[in-house]
Amino acid sequence: MAEFSWSPRSPLDHALVTGAHGVRDIEAGISLTEIRNFDLIQVMARRGKAAELANAAKGRFGVAAPNAPKAVQSQDATLIWSGPDQFFVLSKGGKHTMGTLAPALSGPASLSDQSHARALISISGAKARTMLAKLSSIDVHPAEFPVGAAAATSMDHTSVTLWRGGDRPDGQAVFNLLVFATFAESLWHTMLDAAAEYGVEIAHSEWLA
Amino acid sequence: MSSSQSHRLPSGGLIDRSAPLNFRFDGKTFSGFQGDTLASALIANGVKLVGRSFKYHRPRGILTAGSEEPNALVELRTGARREPNTKATTAELYEGLEAASQNRWPSLRHDVMSVNQLFAPIFVAGFYYKTFMWPAKFWEAIYEPAIRRAAGLGRAAGVADPDHYDKAWAHCDVLIGGSGPAGLAAALAAGRSGARVILCEEDFSLGGRLLADGGTIDGLPAAEWLSRTLAELAALPDVRIMTRMTLFGVYDGGTYGALERVNDHLPSPPEHQVRQRLWRIVARRCVVAAGAIERPIVFVGNDTPGVMMASAMRTYVARYAATPAKRIALFTNNEDGWRTVETALGSGLQIAAVIDARPDVSPAHRSLASKGGFPVLHGSVSGVDGGKDGVRKIAVSLTGGARAEVEADGLAVSGGWNPAVGLTSYHRGRPKWSDDIAAFVPDGAPPGMVAAGAANGAFGLGACLAEGFTAGSAAAHDAGHSGKAGTAPVADDEAFSLTPLWHVAGKGKAFVDYQHDVTASDIELAQREGFESVEHLKRYTTLGMATDQGKTSNVAGLAIMAAVSGRSIPETGTTIYRPPYVPVAIGAFAGHHRDETFHATRLTPSHHWAAEQGAVFVDTGLWKRAQWYPRTGEKDWLESVTREVKAVRGGVGFCDVSTLGKIDVHGPDAGAFLDRVYINTFSNLAVGKARYGLMLREDGIVYDDGTTSRLAEDHYFLTTTTAKAGLVMQHLEFCRQVLFPELDVQLTSVSDQWAQFSIAGPKTRDLLREIVDPAEDLSNEGFPFMGAREVALRGGIKARLFRISFSGEMAFEISVPARFGDAMARNLMLAGKPFGVTPYGTEALGVMRVEKGHVAGPELSGTTTAADLGLGKMMSTKKDFIGRVMAGREALVAPDRQVVVGVKPTDKARRLRSGAHIIPKGQTPGPGNDQGYVTSVCFSPTSDQWIGLGLVERGRERTGEIVQAHDPLRGEDYEVELCNPVFYDPDGVRQRG
Repeated sequence: MAEFSWSPRSPLDHALVTGAHGVRDIEAGISLTEIRNFDLIQVMARRGKAAELANAAKGRFGVAAPNAPKAVQSQDATLIWSGPDQFFVLSKGGKHTMGTLAPALSGPASLSDQSHARALISISGAKARTMLAKLSSIDVHPAEFPVGAAAATSMDHTSVTLWRGGDRPDGQAVFNLLVFATFAESLWHTMLDAAAEYGVEIAHSEWLA
Repeated sequence: MSSSQSHRLPSGGLIDRSAPLNFRFDGKTFSGFQGDTLASALIANGVKLVGRSFKYHRPRGILTAGSEEPNALVELRTGARREPNTKATTAELYEGLEAASQNRWPSLRHDVMSVNQLFAPIFVAGFYYKTFMWPAKFWEAIYEPAIRRAAGLGRAAGVADPDHYDKAWAHCDVLIGGSGPAGLAAALAAGRSGARVILCEEDFSLGGRLLADGGTIDGLPAAEWLSRTLAELAALPDVRIMTRMTLFGVYDGGTYGALERVNDHLPSPPEHQVRQRLWRIVARRCVVAAGAIERPIVFVGNDTPGVMMASAMRTYVARYAATPAKRIALFTNNEDGWRTVETALGSGLQIAAVIDARPDVSPAHRSLASKGGFPVLHGSVSGVDGGKDGVRKIAVSLTGGARAEVEADGLAVSGGWNPAVGLTSYHRGRPKWSDDIAAFVPDGAPPGMVAAGAANGAFGLGACLAEGFTAGSAAAHDAGHSGKAGTAPVADDEAFSLTPLWHVAGKGKAFVDYQHDVTASDIELAQREGFESVEHLKRYTTLGMATDQGKTSNVAGLAIMAAVSGRSIPETGTTIYRPPYVPVAIGAFAGHHRDETFHATRLTPSHHWAAEQGAVFVDTGLWKRAQWYPRTGEKDWLESVTREVKAVRGGVGFCDVSTLGKIDVHGPDAGAFLDRVYINTFSNLAVGKARYGLMLREDGIVYDDGTTSRLAEDHYFLTTTTAKAGLVMQHLEFCRQVLFPELDVQLTSVSDQWAQFSIAGPKTRDLLREIVDPAEDLSNEGFPFMGAREVALRGGIKARLFRISFSGEMAFEISVPARFGDAMARNLMLAGKPFGVTPYGTEALGVMRVEKGHVAGPELSGTTTAADLGLGKMMSTKKDFIGRVMAGREALVAPDRQVVVGVKPTDKARRLRSGAHIIPKGQTPGPGNDQGYVTSVCFSPTSDQWIGLGLVERGRERTGEIVQAHDPLRGEDYEVELCNPVFYDPDGVRQRG
């Protein structure tokens, strides 16, 4: 009997090459980090149960789930608006799974596992906004897109969820991006092309910060 | 240094004399300085002849110093980077620049085609239309190519552009187009108020006319005020200044188009950088401070090299320290033209004469003339003696009728100024006529936009600053910023007195549109021939239709038209203004989206595994799908595909079918919802079972199909075809949100969540038993046909298993979370090794579905009903569903509809082709007896011949009939037999086995 191993493979596994990309004689203006191990659950209120879901979510996460395009940080999850009466629960792999969330939320909500349906990319650096301007029509000016702002938008004709996470320790803004897994490699190359002139530092991390 | 820059002043100008640059024009080496344009560098080297005209191949020189240039077009760069029709007046000089003149052969000085000038009387407006009419077919084959060779512009590179382009978005409160005094004042006011400002400047230097005309602002020399202002703007937190950037269009919702020439000023872009970038700017307000364009006066010989716009002449002298002529004559009808005299005298150049069309000249200018020792002639220029070496003598008709001659090597012309009304008119606005300046000025503008300064017809320096400041302040306020704007910069206004003069009548060619060689007499001819509307005039004469879009010519053309038709200029009106303001390369619009990155691509979870196996990929929509897996020694695709089909039918194979759309349908009303969107019933589907479903459009035509499984009471898992995945999701969301909001149902696309593989063939169960946990019962009883449930796999993960078959074989589909898709493909190879498992691609998949008579994209063509597909019995009569009523329309239930049927050639060796028309045997093919067509074909290894499906009139009733397949595209006619579309295992024994 054959031995089967089931090691997960990120949709960016092939395309992502750790290290420097693009212009190299300057300090990299862009950091691109793929986060590989996460759980992502789509939570959608059942008909007439938005308030009940809000309560259940508050009880579960300790924060109110967003009811506008925003990302809300709880102690161990990020709740990201994804449409009216619906949001994503993003957490470290294994933290908030279908198995653990269903008992708490499946009364007022329908849950759908999206953990494998997206790739998660974190974008930061001095040129992050300049580079995002090539990809997105969203205005990411600090006054217009503060920490916690989120958008369901498109990049390179590809549907994405973009939100601003907490700033880096050096004060620089961090933009997080969820892209559909089957589009991830394509968008990754587009991002590298857009970022190359600023110098890119590429990494991947198993764990959500 | 290879040449002397014989026409460079010893000092002055905004050039960097410490940075000399070598360049080549028509193979000859010259030198210039950093800060030069190609035009200014050519002038500094005494080059007057820079091109040949479009139609008559007349020698042409540099007319302007800006983006309105009609004459000085060159091929810039060489090889793959060669850019035709590049304006020498805006091309920045760089070390090693190579440019070539256009539209001449064998050389610029000796152009054979200049014989066209001898035939000039016949090359009038409409000449080509009138002359090359007969025979009609000669036009494309002979006349047009010959004409295009003779008359034309530069040559395209002919090979792929090696450079990259990209696109970007920008957002601001106040967008300002132009950095002259009005634009800078607007930026100061808006920036100080706290607004986010973007200031675009087409030039590589900021300042607009200040760079050449100077002046005094706030008591400071213009240059000093400029540097102080730029320093202040740079210190403001949210003011972004972008040079080499042309605002070219305005679109809905305050979106503007702009082109940034990021690296056009370098031989080639630095590594990883783009040549140009297309900007879409979203602005709450826009101040157009695009200035004005000086206009020529139309007189005989006005295209002689050395005849130049007066403002351009002084720009070359003052900004570039380059002298277009040593002895200059000025022909003006306004006060502003005299500034060229002041600049020339100040630089030590000689003035030969001023020909002023106005009755009076100011006392100050009279005394300037007497001090400078040159005559002021009241009258008009009636002719120019000169040629490819430039102007020699100028003939003058004096007021009162006498004639005079002026010896000069350059003629500066000023016919007044036209505000740049393009941007304000792009939303179908029509500018209005202003008698004060004898020019069109903006009459309103698209929402959020306002013109200021010269672009608004305010020509004085003081007026430009005041208007710009007011506009900038108001724009910031409208955008919600009320900070203190401070005080406006102040300057005096110069006098601007003008006596309109458009055309000096005379014998010989007097050009209106230099680039398209349209003369005053062409306009008169057009009017005589009845082309009285300006839109007709434009198209008949091609006035204003060249790459410069008539920036220097349109108004003069209208004025001449008005004069000959006895109407006023405003009565004659303008043509419609359309973007872009300057030509924009298609490459910039394409940006990243070219070649392999033309569009985004989607990869299946097992893509890289398939690539390792040597799969050949096919583009299906955005997807790359494995089409087949060639093996060493196989001579063509058919051999590989046939092997794959046989391997499945005889053993076991698998195929990545993750491209199918997958949708989670949740909620207590999920079943009721599906009953309404499918023609068949799903609310009664048992948990743990799958069912094939068919959806109609509202009009009763089939929309999509797929299997849907019930995984829990309130959870269905719906699949769509690959092609319609996105559309079905949209359709279902529309149904949920708009049609059936009362239903408690939630939809989520899970297409990317699951890697799904079809495993097919008689040994499927053997393979699965290797990989599935032994506790799972895969027997026919434990997992019957159309069963669907979660199973545990060896090694610790769970999968969903569906017993469905597209191939007609004993088959399962297995799905695992997508990140396990790669491992699944590898593990299927491992588990199936003892059984000779064979990965197969979309071709084999297609072959097996045709053999099995399953319909797919070619049959779900947007014209077929469920009954056409042989699925009419699925339409439930016990419930309502989308499309039910309309599917009952007479034509949709007519007995003679084209329905799905099998086709096979009577000659077993013949290849079938899809698209062939079905004609009754013995009849001549034609629309009257066209009974359908072949939709899908394949070589069937099982039948050992080509087989197909077709849509044929009454097809099912005609089984066994021999008909004619008529394929005019490939020139083939042959006989086929209509047959049962299920070629393989019609009783379905195998898939249930």
